[in-house]
Amino acid sequence: MRNRRNVLPLLLVAAVSGCGSSDGPILIGLAGPFSEQRGASMQLGAELAVAEVNDGGGVRGRPLQLVILDDSASAETAVRVARELYESPGLVAVVGHLTSGTTIAAAPIYNGGSRSVVQLSPSASSPQLSGVGPYTFRVCPSDLVHGARLAEWAWQELGARTAAVLYQNDAYGRGVRTTFQQSFEDLGGAVVSEDPFAAALPTFEPYLRRLAQRGGADVVMIAGTRAGAERIIATLDSLGYSYPVVGGDGLSGIEAADVDATGTLISSAYLPDRVSPRNEVFVAAYQAAFGDVLPDHRGAGAYDAVHLLARVIEEVGPDRRRIQEYLATVGSESAPYQGVTGVIAFDENGDVPDKEVVIGVVRDGRVVTAIRR
Amino acid sequence: MRFAVRLNTLKARIVAALGVLIAGIVAIALIGVAALRTLDQTVSRELDGLTQAAEITNGLVVTLFDGLRTGEQFLTDRAATTRQAFHDAGERAYGYQSRLSALPDLRETDRLMIARIAELQAEVEVWYSLAHAQVDLGRRTAAENTVTQVRAPTEELLRLVQDFSALQRNRAGIVAQSLQRSSNDGRMMVWTVLAASVLLGIVVGIATVRAVERPLSRLEAVAKRFAEGDLRPVTLGGMPEELASLADAMTRISTKLRTLVASLIGESERIAASANDFSAISEQLAASAGEISTAMIDVSGGAGLQVSGLHESASAIEQLRTATERNGKMAERLAELGEEIHRLAAKYQKDVSVSATTLLELGDVVQTSAGQVEELDRLSEAVYDFVELIKTISTQTNLLALNAAIEAARAGERGIGFAVVADEVRQLADSSGAAAEEVTQTLSAVRTQVGEVSSTMAAGRAKVRGVETIAQGAAEALDEIRRAIEEVEEGAKRVKSDAAGNLDSAHRILQEIRKASEAASSHASASEEVAAAAEQQGASTQEMAAQATQLNEAAERLRTLVKGFRV
Repeated sequence: MRNRRNVLPLLLVAAVSGCGSSDGPILIGLAGPFSEQRGASMQLGAELAVAEVNDGGGVRGRPLQLVILDDSASAETAVRVARELYESPGLVAVVGHLTSGTTIAAAPIYNGGSRSVVQLSPSASSPQLSGVGPYTFRVCPSDLVHGARLAEWAWQELGARTAAVLYQNDAYGRGVRTTFQQSFEDLGGAVVSEDPFAAALPTFEPYLRRLAQRGGADVVMIAGTRAGAERIIATLDSLGYSYPVVGGDGLSGIEAADVDATGTLISSAYLPDRVSPRNEVFVAAYQAAFGDVLPDHRGAGAYDAVHLLARVIEEVGPDRRRIQEYLATVGSESAPYQGVTGVIAFDENGDVPDKEVVIGVVRDGRVVTAIRR
Repeated sequence: MRFAVRLNTLKARIVAALGVLIAGIVAIALIGVAALRTLDQTVSRELDGLTQAAEITNGLVVTLFDGLRTGEQFLTDRAATTRQAFHDAGERAYGYQSRLSALPDLRETDRLMIARIAELQAEVEVWYSLAHAQVDLGRRTAAENTVTQVRAPTEELLRLVQDFSALQRNRAGIVAQSLQRSSNDGRMMVWTVLAASVLLGIVVGIATVRAVERPLSRLEAVAKRFAEGDLRPVTLGGMPEELASLADAMTRISTKLRTLVASLIGESERIAASANDFSAISEQLAASAGEISTAMIDVSGGAGLQVSGLHESASAIEQLRTATERNGKMAERLAELGEEIHRLAAKYQKDVSVSATTLLELGDVVQTSAGQVEELDRLSEAVYDFVELIKTISTQTNLLALNAAIEAARAGERGIGFAVVADEVRQLADSSGAAAEEVTQTLSAVRTQVGEVSSTMAAGRAKVRGVETIAQGAAEALDEIRRAIEEVEEGAKRVKSDAAGNLDSAHRILQEIRKASEAASSHASASEEVAAAAEQQGASTQEMAAQATQLNEAAERLRTLVKGFRV
């Protein structure tokens, strides 16, 4: 499966590189770390949406087609990928990128020049993304909402008064860390430690042992992604510490990890158990298409992003500038979009400030909506 | 030519020429201002970008070194302030990276570098944080090992930052070059437009000056021809509207003058002819008057003889009885003399009648000439009016030229060309005024001559009338002479027939003779009167002949004057 997915984008790129005529398919870029599991989730969501649109007769009688380029979650690669998509003649919009770092790095490319193209991220949640350019949109709430929601939950539901923050030292990790810290301190709590980590960090043991030596904390907040979180949880287990763990939507997927993450609280823009008829149809279709896996917020976000773009193109035609102009009015001058992740209505920064964040809890290898006490 | 049709007034041409120049200058000003503004905006934007980039880059470098320094320092002093400083440096470095990413006009290499710097900085920070944690836990050796991991990313980080600074410096150079280029472009554009508008202005200016100069020189040539008396028809060709009316006026003037001068020449020819006739008749008259005078002297002589004869016969009558024979002879001679007187008187009466007829004819001629002279005078009046018109036109033209000169002076350097034109126009007006003045003078000379001729003719007419009266008197006197002679003849006849008669008859004859003597005396005095009258007539005709000569001369001068005109 993995191998096939890696080859597919290259084939697609090769297939569409000569396209651009008005009779052929309408091209939409898809940029993310598709060699990673989180990227794969995004790709599945997007492909499902494209299949649905094309089954329904396409957009304005033309099929949608994805131009899938892997940015490896690296800002450097993301800039190159963005340039390639930007230069692609028949391409009218981009769904991407997945991470905050890559989305921010690529934003100037998409917003620049005379042929600016819409960049619609399914999951980039950094506050730094707000207002980077008129062509940058996202369907997920920003970390400001995640951090605040987590802090409020920890304070309220866990009764935590002290927190230890471990943050991934990048745009996303720092963003969630900052908003959590501010909200938690505003509520009256104290952040007792802030330790950065990266993929290259050989061990978390010194951070966690030092935390224990200094009296521990009521809650361990992980501002980072699933990989780091797995190692932290494993280290906590190995040291025998039982601090409750909370984290942002970067942790999504941890429920399926080898470590036992049960009880870990995750903020998310979307949980597959979300109660809505539209979501139930989506989850069913997702599972029918890709087997017994549940979509995460990335897949659902990508799914919503593709459907939203299809609707906009149907409305104004496959024109980069008109798509941007129309998209900017969604939720204000034109109707908001009812997606599987909730209602999408953009503000002037291309953010969705009204979108809710839910807290899920890992239970029996799944993330389910957490219930308040 | 299409150009000339559209711009058919001097004003339009001048406005067009100035308009082209002004439009060019405005265009240059606009382009200049736009170029300066663009340059200004570009300069401030680029400088802003460069300043920001430089400021941020410097801040980033300083912060990165701060981070490295405090990160290293904490390993030895473990002070809370050092940890805080390390943490703050990390935060600041992120701030700078965000600001760098937000810079406008960043190139892709810049973005890639910034992304890489952020990654490396994050990595270094993570290594130091781990080392700090290890130091906090008392694991100094582990910390030192951790710190060795920092070396590689630190070196790359420092190299990248240096490269980035170099890139920014290069960018400053590139910006300077692009500014130079855009400034050159602007300058080139301004020069091009300047050259184009100057060229266009010159072309339109030359065209305008030519369009004014050519008709003006044509008008000037025509005015000179007029001044020289050449009034032949003129063709002036296409003219600007302002000059067209002047040209029209000149054409009309030439036509009118031509007509007038032609009739003037005709009139003067006729006057000359009449004067010649007059002169000839006068001479003829004078000659016949002389003859009459001579004849009268003869008559007078004859009469004297008759009177003395009669006296003699009267004394002889006393001896009549003794000299009846001689008496018969005397009577015979007396009859012969009477016969001769009668013949002479008849002859002179005829001569006088001829000369009277001639005089009447002369009177008619003089009358006609006077009418023609009056006509000439009237025509001269009309010429005066036209000359006045010319003068008015020339005065107005002069004013127009003066106004134009003032406008040209106002226009400053741009108006110099037109000032020359205005001066030309003014000179033309002056020369046409002078020409008009000359025509006036010529005309007044003509009129003076005409006046002289007119008065001479009036005098001649009066004289002719006098001669007529005298001639009539002479004719009457001759008639009287004839009648007296007839009486004498009759008496003589009777003397002759009765001479041979009786003495009584002799007494009667004596009485008759006395009567005849008385008649003869009266006839002698009458013939003296005739002679005196004839003499007076001779003097009058002499005077008239002189006046005829004068008239002839005046007519000749008039002819010479009008010969100056070419029609």
